Amino acid sequence: MELDALPQPELERLEQLGNADLVIGILDSEHTAEAGAAIAAVRQALAQLSRVTRAVVVCNNGTQGSADSADSGDDRSLAVFSYSQSPAGPAGTRHQSMSSAYQHVFAVGGKLGVRAGGVIASDLRTLTPQWIHRLLQPVIDLAFDLVAPRYTRHKMEGLLNRSILSPLHRALYGVQLQNPMGPDFGLSGKLLQRILGQVAPRRRGGQVDLLGSIASTAAADGFQICESHLGARSQPPTDWQNLSSLLAEVLGPVFLEIERQVAFWQGIRGSKPVPQFGAPEAVSDDGGTVDVQPMIESFQLGTRDLQDVWGLILPPTTLLELRKLSRLAPAQFRMPDELWVRIVYDFALGHRLQAISRDHLLRSITPLYLGWIASFGLEVETAGSAEREARMERLCKEYEVNKSYLVSRWRWPDRFNP
Amino acid sequence: MWEQVGQALNHSMTRMLSQLASLLPGMAALVVALLVSALVAWVVSAIVRRSLIGIDFDRRVAQWGLPALAEWSPSNSPVRLVARALAWTVMLIGFLIGLSAFDATLTSQLVSRLFGYLPNVLAAVVVLAAGSIIARFLARSVLIGAVNMNLHYARLLSAGLKWLVIVLAVAMALEHLGIGGDIIRLAFAILFGGIVLALALAVGLGSKELVSRSLDREASKTSGQNMREPVGHL
Repeated sequence: MELDALPQPELERLEQLGNADLVIGILDSEHTAEAGAAIAAVRQALAQLSRVTRAVVVCNNGTQGSADSADSGDDRSLAVFSYSQSPAGPAGTRHQSMSSAYQHVFAVGGKLGVRAGGVIASDLRTLTPQWIHRLLQPVIDLAFDLVAPRYTRHKMEGLLNRSILSPLHRALYGVQLQNPMGPDFGLSGKLLQRILGQVAPRRRGGQVDLLGSIASTAAADGFQICESHLGARSQPPTDWQNLSSLLAEVLGPVFLEIERQVAFWQGIRGSKPVPQFGAPEAVSDDGGTVDVQPMIESFQLGTRDLQDVWGLILPPTTLLELRKLSRLAPAQFRMPDELWVRIVYDFALGHRLQAISRDHLLRSITPLYLGWIASFGLEVETAGSAEREARMERLCKEYEVNKSYLVSRWRWPDRFNP
Repeated sequence: MWEQVGQALNHSMTRMLSQLASLLPGMAALVVALLVSALVAWVVSAIVRRSLIGIDFDRRVAQWGLPALAEWSPSNSPVRLVARALAWTVMLIGFLIGLSAFDATLTSQLVSRLFGYLPNVLAAVVVLAAGSIIARFLARSVLIGAVNMNLHYARLLSAGLKWLVIVLAVAMALEHLGIGGDIIRLAFAILFGGIVLALALAVGLGSKELVSRSLDREASKTSGQNMREPVGHL
């Protein structure tokens, strides 16, 4: 969404505001009832920040019709700017509408010339003033450009981040982030303007997904990055029937970003940790048990029926290993890290080469992802927190070790195929 | 009398030989035209093949989403298909030139009929190509979707849809070519109607179990909502 697309009253309101130090986007449209509490939390967080004299809160209140925008009571330092999110089209997904809301917040921030910005897209019921403070304070007081979130996770939470997003970001861009796609971020005005500048020309090519490019742009353009421990994050229950849609929505922008940043990541070797703020919360090991049998069955079904599709993306050796894996008894089911990493790299390459329709490609990874979850679930069934972290570190290292495989295949895609 | 018979035989032989002799230049011209066109076809084919290989045509065709073209091509190579199609076109033109050495009227009639039929052939080819692409795309969508929904008959479903679309495309192509006429239309209507009826019966007879399974699933989902969901993806 661009500012031009805003209704006239909202544009006039922005003009009246003139400028501000800070813009904060509150984007959880599913829990509008908590928006008031969220604004109160913002007010408390801002009270702890010394160098903010004027802040604007952009609320995605999810309602239609004219926007309700008003200064919040007698406190003239905080302006609350609500806007009506345009309804998603028939093909519009929650992820797309979230991306559009991000663009809106960034556009408002750009218009007001803010020094810093923050976006809260997690469930508002878990939002605390501390949460907002930890996202903004490193930007305002310590001159960081990007504050990425670090959540407290149970053993079977954040699986897409654990299996693909985080290690892939680390191996490609050389920055160790737990959640490279947020969704909660703190940003400097400089980074916000840079991202806005990138979005404008890319919009002509169609839908732009900001979430996939915030962390990679910060890494590629040499911005200062850190992480803040935010505590536990509430997530909506898994919709297993639409898992493939979720994967397509999330991985599509990530793979596109890999294509865009190819000149940068080909020269990166290894990775570095970033400074962390706040103290990590202790994780209880009571994460419930997961029945991995249906996931293994999905993997076996995929291995049986999707050979023709995977054959267009994966090299024959990988297909052979997958077939061997599908014949293992459930108790012995373990997906080797190297195999998984190469699968992810091959899918990224297949996405670039468009060997098949990109939507087909992204959805066809679902049985493989379920296979990885099953394998991970069996491995960490009795593992403690430290063991799980060590397990994830091994996977991340495997991504880094196998990066040369991706570079080779990216440069000479036909070499590995007969 | 024998003299008259001999004369008649002589005349007929002379007439026959003179007619054969009059055909000889035409036949020679036909052979020469075929030889020359074969040579030109070979040269054209070689140039086209080299040029297309130079621009990596096979990979581009795959990228453009036309894998069906590769499947129908000799040695799975669209380059060869294009080169051979051009070569045979040149040969056909050479044959028509050679034929006109016998009788220009016959050739012009043949050419005008051929050109009159060409739009139908082109339309049929386009319909077939589009049908094949759509069939493959839909079949792949159904296959991936069905596997992700854990349906064990995903391949059957996908193949069924693919052949349904292909049969529809073939029927439309034959209609364009004017082959079969009403028989094709009738056969297709019977086939398509039969499939729909079979599906309706299958759904009708099987839906009882399906609905109860679905209700069971919903009930178990509702009762399971009280438990903590242990899996999160983001």
